[in-house]
Amino acid sequence: MSDTIARPPFDPELEAVLAVLGDQLPPSITPEMIPLLRQASPVAVDVDDVLAEAGVTRRDVTIPGHEGADIPVTVLARADHTGRGPGIFHTHGGGMIIGDRFVGLGQILPWIVEHDAVAVTVEYRLAPEFPDPYPVEDCYAGLVWTAEHADELGIDPERLVIAGASAGGGLAAGTALLARDRRGPRLAGQVLIYPMLDDRDLTVSTTQIDGVGVWDRVSNVTGWSALLGDRRATDDVSIYAAPARATDLSGLPPAFIDCGSAEVFRDEDVAYATALWHAGVQAELHVWPGGFHGFDLMAPHTAIAQAMTAARNAWVARVLGA
Amino acid sequence: MQELVGRLTALDPEASETLKVVSYFDALVAAGVGLDGLLRAAATLAGAVAGAERDGRISRRDPGGGRPAEDADAPRSAERRVPHGSAWIERAGAPHANDAMIVERLALAIELIEARRSPESGLDVVIDASRPVGERDTALARLRIDPAARIRIVAMGVDAPVPEAPSTVVPTPYGILRAVLDTAERASHAAAPADLTGGVRAGLGTWVRADRAPESWDAALVALRLTGPEAAVVDAADLGVLLLLARSHDPASPPEDVRALARLDPRSAEALRALVEADSIRSAATELGMHHSTLQARHEALTRELGYDPRTATGRARYVAAALLLRLGAPPPASAG
Repeated sequence: MSDTIARPPFDPELEAVLAVLGDQLPPSITPEMIPLLRQASPVAVDVDDVLAEAGVTRRDVTIPGHEGADIPVTVLARADHTGRGPGIFHTHGGGMIIGDRFVGLGQILPWIVEHDAVAVTVEYRLAPEFPDPYPVEDCYAGLVWTAEHADELGIDPERLVIAGASAGGGLAAGTALLARDRRGPRLAGQVLIYPMLDDRDLTVSTTQIDGVGVWDRVSNVTGWSALLGDRRATDDVSIYAAPARATDLSGLPPAFIDCGSAEVFRDEDVAYATALWHAGVQAELHVWPGGFHGFDLMAPHTAIAQAMTAARNAWVARVLGA
Repeated sequence: MQELVGRLTALDPEASETLKVVSYFDALVAAGVGLDGLLRAAATLAGAVAGAERDGRISRRDPGGGRPAEDADAPRSAERRVPHGSAWIERAGAPHANDAMIVERLALAIELIEARRSPESGLDVVIDASRPVGERDTALARLRIDPAARIRIVAMGVDAPVPEAPSTVVPTPYGILRAVLDTAERASHAAAPADLTGGVRAGLGTWVRADRAPESWDAALVALRLTGPEAAVVDAADLGVLLLLARSHDPASPPEDVRALARLDPRSAEALRALVEADSIRSAATELGMHHSTLQARHEALTRELGYDPRTATGRARYVAAALLLRLGAPPPASAG
């Protein structure tokens, strides 16, 4: 469990945050902790307060998910939104096992406010109760619904991007692959925030982040095992569940990828950006030195989190604001 | 962090979460974070702009971590002095429960990073066992102290008023503490250390040659951890051979004699203390307001529990040593502010 192999040090400000949050937020999440984690989200905020403060309205809609089952989505738009603006389809994080569609709200809220964008955030069903392909198929169903209702939602279908963090980043990448292969909705971009892409547990970064930081190797295996069961790390895993397995990334929308240098997902995220470039797809990649997983959510006041958020928002501004 | 912040705004300053403020600043300092990061931390915890002025230069950060617009009239609350300036929180209206403590920790952290950077400060070098003796001698020279001079180091909590004597704040395994230099020269003028410690809890280190100051600091840390309600100031010199014992003690893995004492309930602990200190079981019983034969039975039970008879000469020595080590393992008395 101890970090006996060398790893990049944590950023000093982030290290201090880890020192005080360590007891509330164990690095290693094991399957038996899932029920408890679902009860208490570590970043609990009152959604409606946050929305009201930002001047954003909320509309909950039930839509057909995978196999037609009812799933909720929430449509978020500025209170003064009129006509057609850019669209954001959001897939939340939580390791495939926890969280709801409002996790990561703070990451997309500035885009709604700044660019008068309309966001749809989807309540995909969680593993292990709903293993693969439920999560990614629910997300795809939500994307299709969003594109089909673009007019009524006030979304310009030419300016629709998909965005998600962590497991949500993996689901966003998988959904983008599904959209390409099924000739589904056209996406103007994919914002993959420290995405969870690879079930195989073979990278150097996963061995470096074991028993330290946030969402370590043990947690990651917990998440993927919940999603894939015995199929994890076998040949029987689709590229939509684990986009790192895709060998052909051509024809995908331009991507923005960011992560920390001290997190499990570092190597798979860098590899995905590289694979996109190899396939002739535009991609912007940021690896923030000393960042642990999700540090912009947990320590938004730190210098490095501010830099991460600024770079990400600048990319989104170039894509949505155009 | 967000959850911590949310709970802090209305928190009772005595609540355990306030310890997190202390440990957060300690961790920031230990990680080597600069003024900018310290201000962002203070602003985030307070939910208000935090500022500092040093040598006339003002730095301010808002709770989101950004730079607030310039505002010359911004109210400064809980303002506290730091070397070459001050630190504060900008809160219009009533201060929140933790404002004073947040600024206190901010100010201490600023003083600490200042001490690290500033070339004229040298006491931290003088007491640092990891520095080569040549480096410590150079630092002593800057303090105008001969390496052969008799000195001792005093350890105090950082909430104490800053003494006249040369001092510095340093991170220790027991939190951030203040180290104060005491010289034989000063002690000859004023025998009592009270004017140095200002009546707050303090641990006095052993008298040593100035070039062996780390030894005295180490002893002062032991002495400070032995302070308590009954003894605000403990002098390591009074510990004699017990200091050797205390220095070799690792609170993380206490020996069985210490664990045995720690297991006792308060009533048994009190009975044991009386049994050790009283001349006879009869006088111990009187002191405790207990019947002689009841205490007799308690004595026998305690002898079984401890594995030794606390009324024999060896048993008394074991008890005294174990009680001392038990106090060393207790939470630090003075660092919580």
